[in-house]
Amino acid sequence: MSAVVAVEQQYDDPVQQREAATLGMWVFLATEILFFGVLFASYTICRVLHPIGFAIASRRTDMPLGTIETAVLLTSSSLIALAVRAIKLDNRRLATWLLTGTAALGVSFLVMHGFEYFHEYREHLIPGIDFMQSGPQAPAIELFFCLYYFITGFHSLHVFIGVSVILVLALRVARGSFGPQRHTTLELTALYWHLVDIVWIFVYPLIYLIGRSG
Amino acid sequence: MSRSRGPEHIVPVHRFLWVLAALLALLAISAGSALLKLGAWNPIINLAVSVTKTLLVMAVFMHETEARQLTRLVSALGFIWLSMLIGLALADFLTRSPLPPPW
Amino acid sequence: MNAIDADALHGSFLSRDYSLRAWLTTLDHKRIAVLYALGITLFFLLGGAAATLIRLNLVTPDGALMGAEAYNKAFTFHGVIMVWFFLIPSIPTTLGNFLLPLMIGARDVAFPRLNLTSWYLYIGGGLFTIAALLAGGVDTGWTFYTPFSTMFSNSNVFLVVAGVFVTGFSSILTGVNFIVTTHALRTAGMSWFRLPLFVWGIYATSLVMVLATPVLAMTLALIALERGLGVGIFDPALGGDPLLFQHLFWFYSHPAVYIMILPAMGVVSEIISCFARRRVFGYRFMTYSMLAIAVIGFMVWGHHMFVAGMSTYASLIFSLLSFLVAVPSAIKVFNWTTTLRKGEISFEAPMLYALGFVGLFLLGGLTGLILAAPALDVPLTDTYFVVAHFHYVMVGGSVMAYLGGIHYWWPKITGRLYSEAWARFAAILMFFGFNLTFFPQYILGYEGMPRRYHSYLPQFQVLNVLSSAGASILAMGYILPVFYLLWSLRRGAVAGDNPWNARGLEWQTTSPPPPENFVRPPQVRDAYAYDQPEP
Repeated sequence: MSAVVAVEQQYDDPVQQREAATLGMWVFLATEILFFGVLFASYTICRVLHPIGFAIASRRTDMPLGTIETAVLLTSSSLIALAVRAIKLDNRRLATWLLTGTAALGVSFLVMHGFEYFHEYREHLIPGIDFMQSGPQAPAIELFFCLYYFITGFHSLHVFIGVSVILVLALRVARGSFGPQRHTTLELTALYWHLVDIVWIFVYPLIYLIGRSG
Repeated sequence: MSRSRGPEHIVPVHRFLWVLAALLALLAISAGSALLKLGAWNPIINLAVSVTKTLLVMAVFMHETEARQLTRLVSALGFIWLSMLIGLALADFLTRSPLPPPW
Repeated sequence: MNAIDADALHGSFLSRDYSLRAWLTTLDHKRIAVLYALGITLFFLLGGAAATLIRLNLVTPDGALMGAEAYNKAFTFHGVIMVWFFLIPSIPTTLGNFLLPLMIGARDVAFPRLNLTSWYLYIGGGLFTIAALLAGGVDTGWTFYTPFSTMFSNSNVFLVVAGVFVTGFSSILTGVNFIVTTHALRTAGMSWFRLPLFVWGIYATSLVMVLATPVLAMTLALIALERGLGVGIFDPALGGDPLLFQHLFWFYSHPAVYIMILPAMGVVSEIISCFARRRVFGYRFMTYSMLAIAVIGFMVWGHHMFVAGMSTYASLIFSLLSFLVAVPSAIKVFNWTTTLRKGEISFEAPMLYALGFVGLFLLGGLTGLILAAPALDVPLTDTYFVVAHFHYVMVGGSVMAYLGGIHYWWPKITGRLYSEAWARFAAILMFFGFNLTFFPQYILGYEGMPRRYHSYLPQFQVLNVLSSAGASILAMGYILPVFYLLWSLRRGAVAGDNPWNARGLEWQTTSPPPPENFVRPPQVRDAYAYDQPEP
């Protein structure tokens, strides 16, 4: 299959089409910031209302695992950026491997997160499912963990979607669907992946790093 | 007049790798400083680190498609609007005073 | 059956391929607009049916028609349907979809497949909501306040919330589409400040849709989660705050009303300039005003929460900002009025709707200012004064403008002229019926009648009866266009390219337009050159 871009009838040329698609993706990313933003806003307000409870709750999260997860996502961002670069240089094989690597890191993120959830289940920290904590800060701890599950849940869903799309793209790259003159879909997917990374960049300190100094 | 994608600016590999190194270093700083008792500075440092990491990812990893002024504006708008939500909501929560009972 | 003028329909977007499959898989923005119009009309009738039940119930003080439970479900359904399935999509998805590419000289929107997806999301969300109704309805009010919606309501909250969530994405994707279309697909010579004000209105609306609706989506998801899990962040027992919900909800829902009014303002500018044969006064200020409304409109949401327990300082800030947002609206009202000055005014049906808009929006806006003052809001909140205020701006404003736009562009969309006599009669009937319905509600609210109650004190009955009588007249006014517009499709005179002798690129193509919009590339001229003879 040739890697020449097909121009839709409403566009005059491929550049106009690419610029429109790129602008569209950036506008969509702005909507995602506001979508996740609700959770960040809720978190901010709840933390302002319950600073001590949140600190206690944060200490119950798995900081080493969370830190590794952050490092994994940061690395995956660099891999997908390198993949886009590789396609521009028509290095399809390298691009395929980099995309697969990105997806693999994404999957490992989800697996690590699954371990976190499992441990929290064991420690009765999942609100609505056998939540059992005691002490005056127990309500605030439950509030924290509600937010924790909502934020990480929605984030993980976005990671899952990203991984799926990236794997499909890796296949298409291997089959020659993309080239230096045709890779807008790849670029836009990379943008989405970077957003998923950015969301986590903010989630990490808010969830894992409060009250760690004891 | 039909335009096609012209020769593109290719970012050298080492720039991506340096940025990754910087991101991981920042991660270490935030994790490390969290273990120190710095009072109000803890959340401030963490937030500053997050903002810096975000700017690095946006400027370098996303730069190739962020070249136009318009897209820079769009990317800023989302954050600005979020800060309006958080800011004005905090204006309520931070300035509440509990009503004393009348007796 | 009269012979349809074959030339008019030959090769138009309506006539090429009549099959259902072609319509349901279309990528043509004009057909998608028509598909939306069908949905919009259906939901308007459903919401109107709920309103009929409400007004019938309020004829007697003891609320004999419905018990309190049923009444709660009726006004909830009315609000949910009218806000999310009628008002918010109405002008943007019908007139916006149809006209935006035409007005900028494009062949379609930027993302046609996304456009069709938006329609399916709209219909899908609507079906969820209708399912909720059939399953017994929802009684939380369209505002879904917690903790009632999350913990105590025994109704189908999840279904409705799911429906609105899905439709919210229809809104978001449409907004993305329109923003990119306006930036990327303007034809040669169509610079930003040559755009018709309708395009500016749609663009400003799209900005609001894109920035506000995601917040609604997540907030609704949080309600659903809290309802399902039995625990969540709005739960006071955990230290959560129900006001957190209100902040999040109104952060969307106040800008939502600007989603409803900005396109209407765009329509009115087009109609007034055409039927006064004058260029719009203060074009630049009109565009800046619309952008200012879109931006400042995001900073005023707390005026819905003055009595909810918000801090006094926050109330002050929100009140000041609410006064500020009235300024650009006022500028627009002044400019429309000034546009009329020294004009050759004719009173075709679209003009009647547009003039009605200006007057009713003015009244509604001024009462909004009254409510923006916390001291006045305290006794007036949750009374019929508020109900009257928002119906003046949303019905007297948005719906009037929507109907005006439908009439104005009907010849372009269908190639037919409707009966001017019937249309004028319907418009006047509507104006009269509307005022009879809602003006008494200002008085009722001022006198203290609370909203969302199925019964009321006997001293309020006279005004309630007047209001319900007005509603029946209003309903007749709404039903009339259904008949004479449909009739015009078969028997109406052929419209020709430009029956109103208007300016603007959409009038440079045939009525109805061909699928590709323009047979010859359109010539960009001044969209308001009414002071010059048509070239």
